[in-house]
Amino acid sequence: MKIFWPKNVNFDNALCNLNSQKLSKPFAEEIIAFTQSLSRRFVRMRSMPEVVALGYWLRKSNIKQMQAEFEKATEGKVVRGRGTAFHIAPSNVDTIFVYSWMLSLLAGNRNIIRISSKTEINELLQVILEELPHFKSVAEQIIICTYGHDENATEVLSLACHTRVIWGGDETIKAIRNIPLAPIANELAFPDRFSLAILNSEKVKQLNNEALDALLEQFYNDVFWFDQMACSSPRLVVWRGEKIESFWTAFERKIQIKQHELLAATQVLKYSTSLQLAAESYVEKVAPITYFSRIKLNDVPANVREQHCGGGLFFEYEVENLIDLEQTIIDKDQTIAYFGFEKPELVELVDSISTRGIDRIVPIGQALNFDGVWDGQSFLTSFTREVIIL
Amino acid sequence: MTVPYHLVQAEKESELVVKLNELTRWHFENCHEYKSMLEKSNALLEASCLEEVPFLPVQLFKQMNLKSVSQENVVKVLTSSGTTGQQVSKIYLDKETSIVQTKALVEVMKPILGNKRLPMILLDTKSVLKDRKSFSARGAGILGFSNFGRKHFYALNDDMTLDVEGLQAYLKEYEGQRILLFGFTFMIWQYVYKEIRDKGLNINFNNSVLIHGGGWKKLKDEAVDALTFNHLLSEQLGIQEVHNYYGMVEQVGSIFVECTEGHLHAPSYADVIIRNPITFDVLPVGEQGLIQVVSELPKSYPGHSLLTEDLGTILGIDDCPCGWKGKYFSVVGRIPRAELRGCSDTFQGGVRL
Repeated sequence: MKIFWPKNVNFDNALCNLNSQKLSKPFAEEIIAFTQSLSRRFVRMRSMPEVVALGYWLRKSNIKQMQAEFEKATEGKVVRGRGTAFHIAPSNVDTIFVYSWMLSLLAGNRNIIRISSKTEINELLQVILEELPHFKSVAEQIIICTYGHDENATEVLSLACHTRVIWGGDETIKAIRNIPLAPIANELAFPDRFSLAILNSEKVKQLNNEALDALLEQFYNDVFWFDQMACSSPRLVVWRGEKIESFWTAFERKIQIKQHELLAATQVLKYSTSLQLAAESYVEKVAPITYFSRIKLNDVPANVREQHCGGGLFFEYEVENLIDLEQTIIDKDQTIAYFGFEKPELVELVDSISTRGIDRIVPIGQALNFDGVWDGQSFLTSFTREVIIL
Repeated sequence: MTVPYHLVQAEKESELVVKLNELTRWHFENCHEYKSMLEKSNALLEASCLEEVPFLPVQLFKQMNLKSVSQENVVKVLTSSGTTGQQVSKIYLDKETSIVQTKALVEVMKPILGNKRLPMILLDTKSVLKDRKSFSARGAGILGFSNFGRKHFYALNDDMTLDVEGLQAYLKEYEGQRILLFGFTFMIWQYVYKEIRDKGLNINFNNSVLIHGGGWKKLKDEAVDALTFNHLLSEQLGIQEVHNYYGMVEQVGSIFVECTEGHLHAPSYADVIIRNPITFDVLPVGEQGLIQVVSELPKSYPGHSLLTEDLGTILGIDDCPCGWKGKYFSVVGRIPRAELRGCSDTFQGGVRL
C-alpha cells in the first residue's frame, strides 16, 4: 500500500480520519476554489494535451454551468452527497481519476482513489499534491493511494464506501463485482466500449482545403490523443455514400505534419492485424500504410471489435442511408463522432437502434470530451441522494 | 569455395527469387488465408527482386493456424517457446518440408563441424523430446542438431540440475577428441556456466566446439553480451570455439551461423533483408532495422518470407574476411513491446483475488 495523500499517515488511520469528516454541501465554495486552482495549473501543461483538456473542463464557466443545472434540477429539494466514494482508476488514461473525483467532490462526497500501481508520481499527480494543502476541507476528505492486487484493500474499501466507481475493463469489473459492497452502497461501472465515426460523403466532398484540414485536425485529436485506445476514440469509420480517398490522403499528410510518434512494435502489430483480418470473409480489402491501416468491411460482425489493435487502424464501412447503421450497433458501442449530419437524422438513428448501444453522438473533435453524463448515467445524480422532508 | 556460403550475392539472389516466387505461388494456391492476405492487400505475386517478395509478420503464426498442406499430411507441429500465458507459434510440417529442413541444416553446419559425427553433449534435458509429434523450439533445435553427433549425452537432469558425475565420466571417456556441445544460450549460461562457476566444479570441455542459439534477451538483462559470454566460457569451461546461430522455429533448417569472425552468415537457401521499423522500407548496409528472413524451404506452411520482431544490421556483402560470400549481419535484440494507452485494464494482467 502506497498512500500519496494524506502524507505520513497509515492506511487505517487515514480511512478512520476520512470517514469522520462531515460532508460538504454540493458545489461548496472551497471545493469550487480548489477546482479553479487545478484548472489554472492544468491549462498550462501544454505538453500533455489531455491534461489541458481537463483544465478547460474545470474552468469556471463550465463548473458554474454544471452548478446552475444541478441547482435547477434540485430546486426546493434537500440533496446531499452519498458519503464516501471509492474510485478505481484505469491504468492508462491518467486523467480519468480526476474527472471522477471532481464530480464526486462537487456532489459533496468524501473520496478514496486507487490509482494504478503502474502510475509513477507523474506531473498530473504532482500538481494535485501541491495544491491540496491549500484547501483544508478538500484535503481532509481525500485519500489517493495505490496497492497491488494481492492486498485486501479493495475488500476493506468496498465495505467502507457508499459508492464504488470502477473504471476499466470488462475483466476488472467482473473481478471487482465479486467483492461485496456495503449493502447500502451503489456502484457505477465503466466497461470496455467501442466507438465509431460517421461521415457524410456528400458533405466531405464539398469541403474546401481549409475546411477539410480543420475537420482532419479534429479527427486527428479524437484518434491519436490516446493512440486510439480510449473507449471513445473512433475505430470504425462509416461513410454514408461512397468512401472518399482524398480524405485519407489528406489525413496521412496531417499525421505527418503533427509528427505523431510511431513505434516499431505498433507498426508491426498494425501490419499483422491487417493481414489477419484479410483472411476473414467480411473483409474486402486491407491497406496497411505507414501512418495507419485501413480495413474495408462489407459487414460489421460483433467480434470484429475485439480484433482492433489501436495505434491507427480503421475499419471502414459504407451505408446508403444513415438508418442502415441501426443493424450494426451492439451494446458495446458508445460514441458516434459525426460530420455532415443534422440532429433529426441522428435522433432518428438512435430511435431505431434496438440494442443498448450508443450513449453519445458528438461532432468529430469532441469524441474524447468528458462529460458529466457518461455511458448514459449522470454522475451528479449517482453521486448524490435526496432527503425527503415533508 | 565453401558450400552453402559460396554464392556471391547477385548470383544467389537471382536463384533465390525464382524459388521464392514459386513458393509464393504455391502458398497462394494452397493456403486460402494466405491467398486472401495477398489479394486483399494488393501484394505482388511475382517479385522481380528479393525485396519485393511479400512478407508476413512472424506473429501471424501465433494468431492463426497457417498451412499449405492438408491436415493428414502434417507429420510434425513445431511450437515456439513462450512464457506461460503467451501465445505460441504453430508451424505445420509435412514429410517433404521436414526432410529438406534437416538436409539444409546439415549443409549449413558442415563447414564448421565437418563430415564426421562428433561425440555430442546436449546442454539440456532429455525430457524436452518426450512428445514426438509436437515439438517446442528447444526440442526442434535439439532434434535437428542431434544429427551432427553420436553418443548423445544430456548434461541436465529433468529438474535442470547439472549431471556432474555423468558429465565428468563422459569427458574422460572422450578425452582428446573433438566434442560437439549444443544448447540454448540462456540455458547454458544459467544452468551450466553459473552452476560450474558457483560450485567451483572442475570441468574442462577443452577441444570442443559449442553451437548455441535462442537469443540474448535474458542475458541482456544481466548485461552479458556475446564477447563476455565467449570469454567467460573459455575461461571457466575451457571452450575455445563458439558459434552462435540465429534462427527461429518458423524457419527451421535455413539458420544463420557465425563464421570464425563472429559474423552471422546467410546460407544459399536463405537471406536477410533489413527494413526500417516504421515504414518497412529496405535499409542499406550498415543501418539497423527490423530483420526480414526469407528461405526457400517452407513449403507446408507460408513461412518463406517473414518479418521478425528482431533488430539487426547487415555488416557487409561478399566481403567477410572469413571468405564466405553473401550477406553477413548481426542481431542486436528485439523491438520494445508496444504499450498502448487505453481506458481499460485497471490492473495489468487482470485482478487476482
